Amino acid sequence: MSDLLKGNFDTAKPVVDNSEDGQTLEQRFEKEALKKLGGSIAFVAKQEVVWGDEDAEQDD
Amino acid sequence: MAKILFINPVVREEDDPRHVPYGIALLAAIAMRDGHQVQVYDENAWRKGPEILKQVCNADRWDVIALGGITTAYGSIKNIVRIARDECPQALIVLGGGVLTSLPREMMGFLPQVDVGVIGEGFITLPEILQKVDAGEHDWENVDGTISRNSDGGLVISAQRALLEDLDSLPYPAWDLFPLEEVYFPNSQVLFSEEGMLAKRRLDINASYGCSLVCRYCYHLGIAGDMKYAPDANNELQVSFDEPGNYSRSIRYHSPEYIVGLVKHAYEKYNLDFVGFLDENLMTMDQYSKRTWLKEICRLWKENGLQPTCIRDGVEHDEHCRGVHWSGTSHATLCNPETLKIMREAGCSHLIYGYESFSPHVMKTIGKGATPKTNMRSFFWTLESGIRPIPNQIIGFPNEDFQAIYENMDAWKKLGIVVKPFFATAYPGSEWFTTYRNWIVEQYDGDLEKYIQDLGDATRITAVISHNFNAVELLGLRELMMNFDYKRIEEYEQYWRRNHNIPDGAPSTIFQDPVKNKAKKAANIRLAAGNSGSH
Repeated sequence: MSDLLKGNFDTAKPVVDNSEDGQTLEQRFEKEALKKLGGSIAFVAKQEVVWGDEDAEQDD
Repeated sequence: MAKILFINPVVREEDDPRHVPYGIALLAAIAMRDGHQVQVYDENAWRKGPEILKQVCNADRWDVIALGGITTAYGSIKNIVRIARDECPQALIVLGGGVLTSLPREMMGFLPQVDVGVIGEGFITLPEILQKVDAGEHDWENVDGTISRNSDGGLVISAQRALLEDLDSLPYPAWDLFPLEEVYFPNSQVLFSEEGMLAKRRLDINASYGCSLVCRYCYHLGIAGDMKYAPDANNELQVSFDEPGNYSRSIRYHSPEYIVGLVKHAYEKYNLDFVGFLDENLMTMDQYSKRTWLKEICRLWKENGLQPTCIRDGVEHDEHCRGVHWSGTSHATLCNPETLKIMREAGCSHLIYGYESFSPHVMKTIGKGATPKTNMRSFFWTLESGIRPIPNQIIGFPNEDFQAIYENMDAWKKLGIVVKPFFATAYPGSEWFTTYRNWIVEQYDGDLEKYIQDLGDATRITAVISHNFNAVELLGLRELMMNFDYKRIEEYEQYWRRNHNIPDGAPSTIFQDPVKNKAKKAANIRLAAGNSGSH
């Protein structure tokens, strides 16, 4: 149970948020790093990674 | 009575949520005052994503789902209305705020899920829509200030909604319906002043509506008297805003009693330590009131025990300070030392100044009514009063040139200004947008929606309206300006002059005023027509 909806009556159904804050640790880290981006602060956006890149495999 | 769900869309996703949406908080209070059943889901505060939004949509059988925001919330609004329509086919989806007001027909086209748009101020329009919902009526064309769809799918704009004259008739915002303790108070900090930095329980209020000035880049959300309705060639009503040489303004402000009463209420209820005035320009109101408004607010602030104790006792501010510090917006030409001193005494910590530029020829073209000289004068007056002036700057004005760049760097050096300027951005509803719309849309492959989706808070470059510099040049020049790298800028100027065939000593510009050119062209056409008539 959460308090995501706020109003002057009780809704028919509750809104249930099972995640701690709606973001994974990975998302939280990448968001915080993005705010300080520059110089030595660089990071891999894991959701953007293209796995199995053909060029990289050929180099191997 | 109608069951209404307000949704606050995400804005400035790159930053933490910092501001309770004042308009939605007022509209929620109005709806509750009128006896409706109200819930608020603050998507901007929670940022929980589509699954939670679907749950919210299914938490009850909503009669109305209402949302709104500024233009930069468009991307989030688009996602929300898609989900809301899928999950709640029975609900009336109502969109308002600057995003709709600035481009009503275009927005209704981009967002087919929206049933009714509220153009301009919603304080009277939304309650009238809710009355219709209660009555089971759908004749939105009879509710002033709306845009809706007829049975053929065509768009219908109703008569223009008059602005609310008695602002003090508004209830206090329904702050309780927003996650203050969970989200907003933890994000109270505003890095504009020492007091703002230490703020732990901040709320924002809006004490006035409108601004007397005609800055070319500014847009007033349809609440400043700048909005005009007129039929086009097809006799369809169109909504327009500032155009070159065609301005109108309405100045409205709450009484000092309402403002201080609201702050005292919030201080006692939420233990506030900081209030941010969201007003477009506090000084406009003060001048309009013949310099009585701010003085009276400050007097009542102190009389009601809101003056910060650090100021009362003449000690440095720290976490033990009681009372309410505050901030707002000022204007270089409209402020004066006496008012600034009174404001500081009442707890004002910083004032945002849109100085924009310290270049005389740029300042002349932006409609601000200020000059580099008044910028500097107000800068020192504000510092002397003990208030921090926040010297906002813009790069990429239509006539920005190398001379302006050097003049700005010289001023920053002299005044100790540390700044990363905004990029000149033509938001829909501004005069710049009216003037440069075609060029802007060209930069987005003819797709206006792409431009709207790309718009942010002007710290990132979007469409360029500079005649002299492209996006790459502006990005590089801004970086070099911040480092006071005169040498590299001068070297680039030589390269730029060769590219544009402009010799040393001549003004470094290819700017041609589009407004003057349009007038000149029209005069030539009239002259030609007159000549042909005489033959």
